[in-house]
Amino acid sequence: MLNHRLTRLTRYNLILVFLLLVIGLIWIYPFLWVVFAAFKGQREMFTAGARLWPYEWVFDNFSRAWIKANFRQYFFNTVLYSTAATVIELIKASMCGYVLARYRFPGRDFLYRLILATLFVPIATVIIPQFVLIKALGLLNTRLGVILALSGGAGALYVLLFTGFFASIPEDIFDSARIDGANFFQTFRLVLPLTRPVIATVIIFQFMHTWNEFNIPLIFTFSKPELRNLAVGMYAFQGEYSFDWTGFAAGTVISVIPVLLVFLAFQNYFVRGLSGAVKG
Amino acid sequence: MARVFYENVTKAWGDVIGVNNLTLEIPDKEFLVLVGPSGCGKSTALRCLAGLEEITKGNIWIGDRIVNDVPPKDRDIAMVFQSYALYPHMTVYDNMAFGLKLRKTPKDEIERRVQEAAKILGITQLLDRKPKQMSGGQRQRVALGRAIVRDPAVFLFDEPLSNLDAKLRVQTRAEISKLHQRLGTTFIYVTHDQVEALTMADRIAVLRDGVLQQVNTPQHLYDHPGNVFVAGFIGSPAMNFFSGTITGTLEEMYVDSGGVRIRLPQNEVEQLGAENIGREVIFGVRPEDIHHPQYIPAGVKEQLIEATVDVTELMGNEIFVYLLTEKEESFIARVDPRAHLRPGDKVKMAFNSEKVHIFDKATEKMLATPKGTESAA
Repeated sequence: MLNHRLTRLTRYNLILVFLLLVIGLIWIYPFLWVVFAAFKGQREMFTAGARLWPYEWVFDNFSRAWIKANFRQYFFNTVLYSTAATVIELIKASMCGYVLARYRFPGRDFLYRLILATLFVPIATVIIPQFVLIKALGLLNTRLGVILALSGGAGALYVLLFTGFFASIPEDIFDSARIDGANFFQTFRLVLPLTRPVIATVIIFQFMHTWNEFNIPLIFTFSKPELRNLAVGMYAFQGEYSFDWTGFAAGTVISVIPVLLVFLAFQNYFVRGLSGAVKG
Repeated sequence: MARVFYENVTKAWGDVIGVNNLTLEIPDKEFLVLVGPSGCGKSTALRCLAGLEEITKGNIWIGDRIVNDVPPKDRDIAMVFQSYALYPHMTVYDNMAFGLKLRKTPKDEIERRVQEAAKILGITQLLDRKPKQMSGGQRQRVALGRAIVRDPAVFLFDEPLSNLDAKLRVQTRAEISKLHQRLGTTFIYVTHDQVEALTMADRIAVLRDGVLQQVNTPQHLYDHPGNVFVAGFIGSPAMNFFSGTITGTLEEMYVDSGGVRIRLPQNEVEQLGAENIGREVIFGVRPEDIHHPQYIPAGVKEQLIEATVDVTELMGNEIFVYLLTEKEESFIARVDPRAHLRPGDKVKMAFNSEKVHIFDKATEKMLATPKGTESAA
């Protein structure tokens, strides 16, 4: 009887795994197609149809993208923008979350709700005020200006995550730190490593967001194309009468790899970060 | 080394009072246990002493200085928490050294103190581990170690054994007592477990609703509880209480609840005097002072009371018998394990008439107390 049930379960699982594989393949196929297109010649790309494997491996697309389309410069800019904006967001959101979770002060709840309310403000609506601000600061067409604009929001989701996580840390840890003689910053530094899951989540979200950001790097570097990031730089493949699709595919591969690496590096903490914050 | 003095200390959050006008002196090197049910204010009193809570009124003295406005780190105290409160991402060594590092203690001095504390507690082999790689008992030792390295004037313990299993609790209890003897420092220990209090304390302070009920040695509290609450809280199973009246004369005085009538010994008659005859009282008899008629210890002046067995619980070395008097008053007796009692049996239980505690019914304060096994402190 039990054996029979087990066999039924195994059969059910096999069907499920097969279905998931098919769905997964459908899901990943376009991505794989772009990756392989980066190794094809222009003509083959248009004639290969749905075929993935190139007849002839072409590596020229990458050097064209890297040097001719100036991806070398865009890559550097993107890494700089993404890293700096992520670090700023991390510092800002973790400190804000720490104070909101651990301290009671007048207006605390109002402040918390206000930060949460910014979640519902469409990003496009703040670009103009941001532009005016950055211009007033004399930072238009500078890397610092782009970084500030990319990390200038309330980071509401990140604050929410940090607040929840800090609130879930047992009170005794903070009391113990007080007795040990830790001041505000020392206590913050002491408990910050405990929020590793949230830090990982923020890194993944913010890094991906700034890496793929298009509007801000375009608008804030309009007169200085060399300050653009990869997402904007993709336009370099658009000629007057043609489009360099294989170069574009190679550029896409170049731009996707770092994001994938960041995700793989921090994915272990990712789910814990989200669930921990909800629990808190 | 320091004495601690709570001088009319009150801690309130708006209308909610945690500690109410507490005056309590703890001499240097004493092991004092604050005990009471949940919400009685014992942890609050400890946290006020640690500086983790600001007091509303009064003064707290540590040594010869008032510490009301002194931050926790400068009070020369160390605290062990129920949850251990170890920093999860640090090794045992770093956990123990953290406070010293913040105080900018020289590295070799930190090393010496941590190694010494680890040796005392037998955790030298754990110094490189992180808290999650250790058992509850090991974590609690690390928490103790963290307190020891600071070499404080006062050790504070907030229910440190509550998260341990029963066996480990007994073992750690003994280790804390040994530690107190070895360090010779003032220990203030909070627990809701009266067994912990009785076994470890030099003196016990019993709290209820933020108010100090009684403070004395464990034996004195057990023998001479000052009110009904202390009488019921200290001792397991709890003391049996009966509502009754004082009857008779100075020559022959009784407490009588209807189902239980006991003639009082001369010393209690003298404590009560003639003015209490006719007074409504609550009288209490501990379960170990009620015996099976066939197994009465020598020297006990018994008073036989008829009762019906309700439930029996065999504990191995004794039996807890739940009984009902003719007037349906329930009480528990700890009797000899050889006594054969079954539910429904009618039996004349032998009450030790020299061990009756008498309290005023209105105020619940002690009116007369039996002779104890020690002189009253």
